[in-house]
Amino acid sequence: QFIPSEPPPPRRPAVYAEQNESDEERQFRKVFQQLAGDDMEVSPAELMNILNRIISRHADLKTDGFSIESCRSMVAVMDSDSTGKLGFHEFKHLWNNVKKWQGVYKSYDTDGSGLISAQELPKAFTAAGFPLNDQLFQMIIRRYSDENGNMDFDNYIGCLVRLDAMCRAFKTLDKDNNGTIKVNVQEWLQLTMYS
Amino acid sequence: MSGIAAKLRHNRDRAQGIGTNDHAQKYLNQDFESLRDDCLERGVLFEDDYFEALPSSLGYDELGPSSYKVRGIAWKRPTELCSNPQFIVENASRTDICQGALGDCWLLAAIASLTLNKQVLSRVVPHDQSFEDNYAGIFHFEFWQFGEWVDVVVDDRLPTKDGKLLFVHSAEGSEFWSALLEKAYAKVNGCYEALSGGSTTEGFEDFTGGISERHDLGNADPHLFHIIKKALERGSLLGCSIDITNASDSEAVTYRKLVKGHAYSVTGADQVEYGGEAVHLIRIRNPWGQVEWNGAWSDDSSEWRYVSSDDRARLTNRSDDGEFWMSFSDFLRQYSRLEICNLTPDALTGDDYKKWAETEFEDTWRRGSSAGGCRNYPNSFWMNPQFVIKLEEVDDDPDEGQEGCTFIVGLMQKNRRRMRKMGEDMETIGFAIYELPEECSGLRNVHLKRDFFLRNASAARSETFINLREVCNHFCLPPGEYLIIPSTFEPNKNADFYLRVLSEKNADFQEIDDAVESHVEQIDIDEDDISSHFKSLFGQLAGDDVEICAFELQKILSRVVTRRSDIKTDGFTLTTCRTMVNLLDKDGSGKLGLVEFRILWAKIEKFLEIYKDRDMDQSGCMSAPEMRMAVEAAGFSLNNPLHQIIVARYSQDLHIDFDNFVCCLIRLELLFNTFKALDEDGDGMISLSFFEWLDMAML
Repeated sequence: QFIPSEPPPPRRPAVYAEQNESDEERQFRKVFQQLAGDDMEVSPAELMNILNRIISRHADLKTDGFSIESCRSMVAVMDSDSTGKLGFHEFKHLWNNVKKWQGVYKSYDTDGSGLISAQELPKAFTAAGFPLNDQLFQMIIRRYSDENGNMDFDNYIGCLVRLDAMCRAFKTLDKDNNGTIKVNVQEWLQLTMYS
Repeated sequence: MSGIAAKLRHNRDRAQGIGTNDHAQKYLNQDFESLRDDCLERGVLFEDDYFEALPSSLGYDELGPSSYKVRGIAWKRPTELCSNPQFIVENASRTDICQGALGDCWLLAAIASLTLNKQVLSRVVPHDQSFEDNYAGIFHFEFWQFGEWVDVVVDDRLPTKDGKLLFVHSAEGSEFWSALLEKAYAKVNGCYEALSGGSTTEGFEDFTGGISERHDLGNADPHLFHIIKKALERGSLLGCSIDITNASDSEAVTYRKLVKGHAYSVTGADQVEYGGEAVHLIRIRNPWGQVEWNGAWSDDSSEWRYVSSDDRARLTNRSDDGEFWMSFSDFLRQYSRLEICNLTPDALTGDDYKKWAETEFEDTWRRGSSAGGCRNYPNSFWMNPQFVIKLEEVDDDPDEGQEGCTFIVGLMQKNRRRMRKMGEDMETIGFAIYELPEECSGLRNVHLKRDFFLRNASAARSETFINLREVCNHFCLPPGEYLIIPSTFEPNKNADFYLRVLSEKNADFQEIDDAVESHVEQIDIDEDDISSHFKSLFGQLAGDDVEICAFELQKILSRVVTRRSDIKTDGFTLTTCRTMVNLLDKDGSGKLGLVEFRILWAKIEKFLEIYKDRDMDQSGCMSAPEMRMAVEAAGFSLNNPLHQIIVARYSQDLHIDFDNFVCCLIRLELLFNTFKALDEDGDGMISLSFFEWLDMAML
């Protein structure tokens, strides 16, 4: 039921990448370098600053701001080498998704409330690339929406980042594509504690 | 982009043999056979989009696009350069390789040594390719990169000037395997210029997956000749060079016709009877294919007249091929450095060679958890990954007076992610070896703690801590169990490493670490045991429904903890409170009743006690080492990968405040419980469908 988007093309050697990138990519690299600082990695606090800067420019998105906890969790699900920070490619993936999902959020907030209601959510998530079944949608609403079933922008992004990462994790481990994964206790804890 | 799962998958792939020589990874996902077949079908010659025939593939500075050195360069296929190009003529031999305009003699010396060992050569240079059968302008080579074999394809457009190859070429000019090999290696390294200047050991290791030792000849191991002879018997690759003190000395030729700052291969070691005494001789080759030593034991020297005719026939080969003999004592005087690349057993299949026993591990140093630094930092040194080797049998043929177990330890840093600034970003690495005392004998499930290293002195260690790709040393120790601790020099440096041990006899080599287990005691509380004071407090907090939901819990807990000045916290998040409810909610209501809330309260009191007790420096926070001990005190036994995750997930600037501390312990307990519940047959593995996985993972 979940079809992940195409995997990114194989990475070209760094020298090649720098010499042949498009203007847009060069621009993004500059933004990343400013944001990530000397260590060239984005920490949860750096991520929180940039995300909160974006939402401050969009008054039509209802949110109480991204918390450090939710940014930690977003970094954790995407970080593959347990450094607690995101590298260039990981951050780029996140960045492109946030841009895409922000557009989805606005177009599926049909009543213009600035929130995604329980009724709007299945369509919005399907448009974001996650056509889940009702049972999973209900579970997500229970865990990520407020007491009235409404999801604000920061919870929406936090939820989708996690959903995207967890779907990819499943696909990665389900090597023979048989719909189940097997894990031992250490792997289980590595996957679930680091999220 | 699948987070930690990517790493788990990598570990699983490695366990199944992917990335070994038999199952090399396709570099940049390019598959030789399908690309070739595709070109044959379309009737075109292959053009590699990933390493194009453009100035950027040549270099960035001296060979950069605007440099005068690259003017007039044309990329040509061998078929345009000569009428009958050959991939490999007969058998590749060490005289096939002549250096071009690039300062990569180190690489050529490595390639030359490679030709001495047919098996190794045929792995790097698969012989299933030629300019005749199925020729499509595409060739492939296999290199070893940080523990994995990669299969690299190239097209056969080579840089030329005035109709001649610019870089490596064969003496005959019609044989192209070495030029194509150089191109493939340049592709892996980004461009040709990246190959300029380097150490032969790097080339050795990338062609063989072997492990290299360096010997300083000014201060040579007394058993060095023995080591060299044994190394040659084992099919090892050997290189030597003369150090230069300033750049103008580079490639300067001494009056003895030796070239300074140039990489030579060592191709033989033997012994002859001369003037009634045994003389040790060593055979060396200049990769230029000419310019030979003219001193004692050189091709035309008088010494050969006074040895037995057998020896003379066996050893001499008088031609200007760059290869010559010299006495071992002259060798020590004239040369400064010797590098030996010991081949791992998978490089040597036949019975012709004696083989090492090999074991390898991939692991990581991470800030705050496993990056403990060297022994100068006793508070964190013990946190480094730990390995144990058990040596049981002594060597077969010991050198005089040196009975023991010979083994080689190689520690290599991977730094894959930061390749772009290779060199600058190398960490300073090394290792220490401790004898494991008898009372610890056989222990494998115990990560040794701080006290052990305060009480015990090291038995051996790497010669230096150095910022090279690999640190490697040769040891000979009495039988016993030894602990190997690899580390960066300073603590809290993130790096990935690859640790290998080669031993003369089979030796048991394992990582030792704590088992992953939970020993958390269940708290049983009966409603009757709860004081009336607590009951009335609960009544006030819970309100009409007599239960506490996650939202209410968040308010209550935050009110309690933020009033305290002895612990640092910024209040509990809703996520943490949801986890707490999940852990304790036995009736599935999604809320906590009186008893459930009382148990949670008892837990939090216990956490607070541990937190205060382990906060040695009274900072109000857990430092990373304090956290590790606190997690243990709370009833969890975890290993290095999990301690790394805890620091990465819950710490800020390597400190963990109270709410994150509680969140971490509550989640650990919940996740251990969940695993146990799912592992119905108790085999230590659980199976999850996609739905079950999301249900757990989206918590």
